[in-house]
Amino acid sequence: MVATDEELVAKSMAGDVDSFNQLVLRWERPIYALAYRVLGRDEDARDVAQETFLRAFRALPGFKGQAKFSSWLYRIALNLCRDWIRRKKRTPVVDMPEGVDVIELAAEQGPVESIEDLVARQEMSRIVAEGMKQLPEEQRTAIVLKEYHGLTFQEIAELQGCPLSTVKTRLYQGLSVLRKHLESRGMTSLNSGRAS
Amino acid sequence: MSEMSHIDNETLVAYLYDEVDAAARAGIERHLQACGTCGGELAALSDVRAVLKSWAPPVIDLGFTVVQRPGGQPPATVLRPVQWWNTVPVWAQAAAAILVLAVAVGVANVQVRSGADGFVVTTGWMAPANAAVPVAPVTAGLAAEGENWKAALVSLEQQLREEIRSGRGGADTVRAASRSGADEATVRRVQELLQASEDRQQRELALRLTQFNRDVNIQRQADLVKIQQLFGQSEGEIDRQRRMLNYVIRASGTPQQ
Repeated sequence: MVATDEELVAKSMAGDVDSFNQLVLRWERPIYALAYRVLGRDEDARDVAQETFLRAFRALPGFKGQAKFSSWLYRIALNLCRDWIRRKKRTPVVDMPEGVDVIELAAEQGPVESIEDLVARQEMSRIVAEGMKQLPEEQRTAIVLKEYHGLTFQEIAELQGCPLSTVKTRLYQGLSVLRKHLESRGMTSLNSGRAS
Repeated sequence: MSEMSHIDNETLVAYLYDEVDAAARAGIERHLQACGTCGGELAALSDVRAVLKSWAPPVIDLGFTVVQRPGGQPPATVLRPVQWWNTVPVWAQAAAAILVLAVAVGVANVQVRSGADGFVVTTGWMAPANAAVPVAPVTAGLAAEGENWKAALVSLEQQLREEIRSGRGGADTVRAASRSGADEATVRRVQELLQASEDRQQRELALRLTQFNRDVNIQRQADLVKIQQLFGQSEGEIDRQRRMLNYVIRASGTPQQ
């Protein structure tokens, strides 16, 4: 039977490092993905993910369990991302990881996806990344948390420290900017809504 | 919400992400049936959401592990990705190092000779052991040193095994202990590495086969050209000999048959 986060947290607080490492294994991928989508750089996302778990481990005795462990981790990771953006004083740049070869990727994808499909998907991914780069950090983070991590408006509001209505506004504005960006890149099928 | 006014942005987003209560949902859906503008807006935002799904972070091996340093009260911590060589036991690493050393010595063909100018150590890349220079018999002293060397290696291996068993591995032991929680991840990573290695070997094999096929074809064509040239030379030689024979026959006055 798989232990819950709460059980692993309790064991970790009692000094069981292995339990904490199970939590790391469970959450490293979502935390890395969050950092990657907010910061846009593989290396920086790795650093932030690593630092997130280190800080969580050190702060574990102070974790009272009012929030879910995952929300607590997200908060640490987002604070680190914010610090990173402030420290670097630049907008995130989304780049492809080094050494990614489209043909090699196609070979690894198996026969279900053709190279043409893969290239199209990569191109789409690149355009989305470009669009995300244009968004203010608050809107980008709200979209990332909602779209890719499935958080509720309330959870996002708590993480971002803002009212619920602000989260919805950020999402609407962010999606609208993305929509215009996608239209400008030739995705005309999106051009069917009301004037915003 | 009035049927005449449009749905406000916040409500539309809440409906888009399915975070509205039943009563509000019914009102929104009633409005959407009557209002093409709001319906279009909702469809456009849904399309944006669909496109967003294509954006995926790279699939990489993270492998973070919390490691405690020994003896610390409170323990100092570091966090770093587990490298694959950290998952190999220390005694296995030592054995691998000894094996590599032995193979290197064998391949390098190390020879020790005693001569008038003392002991001479020579190496030869893949040269046969009894090649050019005759090897003088190894002295008893050197043989004894070789035995000592082997004994030292055996002793080192035993010591490493003992350390692992008795848990006196210091930081490595603590790391190993903390690693047990991540066994599943380790196994998965090793499997991924093995799979990647296998795929790479298959690709290399396919490449080598293609190259081999191409080399064979080139060689075959070269051989054909050479054979044709040989045939041409043979025909030339036969023609020359025939002309010589005709000349001899003419010179001797014998009628040609």
